[in-house]
Parts: sequence; structure tokens; C-alpha cells
Amino acid sequence: MCMAVPSRIVAMENGSATVEAFGALRTTSLMLLDEQVQVGDYVILGAGGNFAAEKVEPERALEALAYLTEILASGQA
Amino acid sequence: MLPFEAGLTVTLGLRDSKVTDVAIVSTRLVQASRLLAGRDPVQVTTLLPTLYALCGTAQALAGAAAVEDALGLLPSPLQRMARRFLLLLEILTEHSFSILRDWPALLDESPDLSPARLLRPLVHNARRSLYPDGDWARPGGGRLEVDAVALGMILPPLKALLAHIFAGSVDQIVDSPSLFDTWCEHGDGLPARLLRRVRQSGLGGFGAAASHFMPAEGPADVGERLAADDGGRYLARPDYHGRVLETGSLSRQHAHPLVAGLLAQYGSGLLPRFAARMAEIAAALQEAEDLVQDLSAEAVPPPSPGGSGIGLGRVDAARGLLIHGVTLKEGRVSTYKILAPTEWNFHPAGPLAAGLTGARDDDGLIWRARLLAAALDPCVACRFEVAQYA
Repeated sequence: MCMAVPSRIVAMENGSATVEAFGALRTTSLMLLDEQVQVGDYVILGAGGNFAAEKVEPERALEALAYLTEILASGQA
Repeated sequence: MLPFEAGLTVTLGLRDSKVTDVAIVSTRLVQASRLLAGRDPVQVTTLLPTLYALCGTAQALAGAAAVEDALGLLPSPLQRMARRFLLLLEILTEHSFSILRDWPALLDESPDLSPARLLRPLVHNARRSLYPDGDWARPGGGRLEVDAVALGMILPPLKALLAHIFAGSVDQIVDSPSLFDTWCEHGDGLPARLLRRVRQSGLGGFGAAASHFMPAEGPADVGERLAADDGGRYLARPDYHGRVLETGSLSRQHAHPLVAGLLAQYGSGLLPRFAARMAEIAAALQEAEDLVQDLSAEAVPPPSPGGSGIGLGRVDAARGLLIHGVTLKEGRVSTYKILAPTEWNFHPAGPLAAGLTGARDDDGLIWRARLLAAALDPCVACRFEVAQYA
């Protein structure tokens, strides 16, 4: 039951992307994505964060991020 | 690492050259689902696949089943068939992906994830080919339309990938002990090489311990235990009358002829566990191929849910039995709890801990521990440490 955190792409280079979520920046591989992505898109990272597992529509991503923000605020995380 | 991306830390306590105790610390957010309270149940089942994207089908369908149980809704046979197909597809893709990602490191090899590129699109394409509105997890059932052409393109590439992974037909490999034996001894491909190494290292029975398999319907007391679990202790460390049950491939496939034979020979060690994973893959693929022939559209969309009640949703996910418990009041979620299979299998008194207790302390201990963890397949990263006692 690993929770997935939608992360926003802030930069892309050579099949990798720099993604941001909750202020943290990470580099992740885009090799497993079958859809084209661009800066500003949201992706969900696989376990460990080494690769992007799927692209997520912005409204779904923002809804999930709002929920995760509630978890942070509640002290559950 | 973000706080949501939890993991397991397993500490092997050593004394007199043996593992004398196993401490498992989980940082998984077992109580996070409480914050689903206040939402509309349809909103919850829409949110779940994004929150738990890596097992999103199982999570959303467990949520839908819990809401349906609470409201007395009975999804139609066609809806149940379509959901089952989606679930089987997730089981197959999750097993395929974990083998490609995790097993190479057990042979000191680098993973080649390029074949995994097709897996997640298959899951999404299958959802779209059955539920064009995206409401595949809607309580009561979504608008079921079948795009036969798109649906027909789901299983063939997956079957080809599995044949590539196992360097053969997995249903034939697990069909008889002699075929399995020959494949272990001479087969190509990553799984055969791993199992050959396990056998050659005399580790077929490594990790064997007394097993208490999860009943198909889950623990009989799970409803009451979830309802009484205000502090989250049961969600974090579940038990059934004091026993920690095992859930997952071995629990579900222990009666499979090949697995039963290996259990009799090795106990619940590595070889039966890996064979059970293969038997589960073979069974899921066969069932999915049978189901895909019978899927068809449903003319009347079911009504929207509303009302009050208490419900449980049980789904056999890739890693074991997943249970959602919900309380609804006047159409809104009042309480929401999720009991995941990793809480049983990686319980401090569960099958991983029991299987490692008593293990010999030598250079290969951590490797053997990683093998057992891979066979049990946690849903989060698992790392090992040792503590030497005087």
C-alpha cells in the first residue's frame, strides 16, 4: 500500500525529468512512460522514485495532492 | 524521500551465529485513510487509484465493494466479470513488474526494465476498453461498454512478455513437478536462473516456518476488529485470535499440485513460495483469457449510491488479501480503514520474521533474507540491518 505522490515535471533532459512534490526536487527516469510528457505535467513515480510510472491528469493530481496535504497537516505523515 | 513514500526496515538480531530475533519497523501510513472521511463515496473510489497508483485497481475495487456492502448494492454479474478482469490484469502486471525490477538484484544483475514499458498502458487501455467514461470503480457499477478490438489487444502482448520473462509458457512449467524440475535445472531466463541458484545453494526450504494461511473471505472477525480499532493498532499489526495469518500467492496456491508437493518436501520455504508465484501467474492468465471471451456491454447504468451503513470490501490483490472497511452516514464517508496484505506478511510475528528466526549468520545471510522478502513481495521498499548481541 505504497502511497503515490503526483509530482510535477519542472525540467526534462535526455529521458530524465526533474520533478517537484511538496517542495522536494527529484530526478526520475521517463523510460517507462508510453505517453509524451512536458514540463508542467504530473507523473506518479514508482517505488523508490527512480522512474515515472504514469502520467496523471492535472485535476486528478491536484485532488490527490490536496488529500496528501491534509495528511501532512493532520500529523499522520 | 517524501513522508508518504514509506518503507520497511528489518533488523536481524544475531547471537551465537544465529538470528535470534527479527524486528520489523514499518513507516507505512496505515491510518492515512481516516482522512477520507467526509467525502462522497464516489469521490473516494475515484481518488483511490491515484493515491495508490501501483495497486490502484485493487484499491479502488475494494473501496467500491465496501461501499456496495454498506449500501446493500449488488453489482451485476457483468460488472463483476469486468472488474475481475481488470483485477487479474493488475495481478499479472504487478507480478511481471516486480520480477523484472526486483529479481535481477538477487542474482547481482542489473534490471532491464524496458520490457515493462508496456505494462501500465495495458492496465489503462483495459479500463478504457471496458468503461469508456472511466467509472470502472463506481459503486454499483459504471457504464460498461466493450470495445472488443481494444480489449483483444490487451492479453496477447502480456502473454508474450510472460513467455519472454519465463523463457517458456508458465502454465506448462507449473503443470507438473517434472516439467518444473527440468525448467529449474535447464531453463533460460531470469526466474529459472534464480530458482536454479536457490536449489544449488540448498535454499529450497529456507524460510520455512509454521504457516497460518488466510481464509478466502479473510479473518472472520475483521469487521469487528476494524470497527473497534480507533487507535490503529489492528491496522498496523493485525492478528486473528493471536495468530498472524499469511496472505498472498502461497496462501492462495498452497493446494496447487506442484506447490503442494514442494510444500511437503520443503515446508513453506523459498522454492514453494516462488513456485506459488508462478502458479498464480498461470492461473490468473488462464482466468483472464477465459473471461475476456464473455465480457459484454450492460444496457442500464446502475443507480448512484446514497444512504447509510457499514461495509467491508475484500479483494485478492497481487500481494494478498486487501480489505477496506467503510462507514457511511447519509451518503458521506464517516470512517474509512484499509488493511493491506503487507501488514500480515511483514508483521513482526509474521511469515518473514518467523522464516528468518534461527537463520545461520554467515556472509550470505542478507542475501537469503532478501530472497525471502522478494518471495513475500512487500508493497514498499524493504531494507535489512543486523544487530550483533553479545
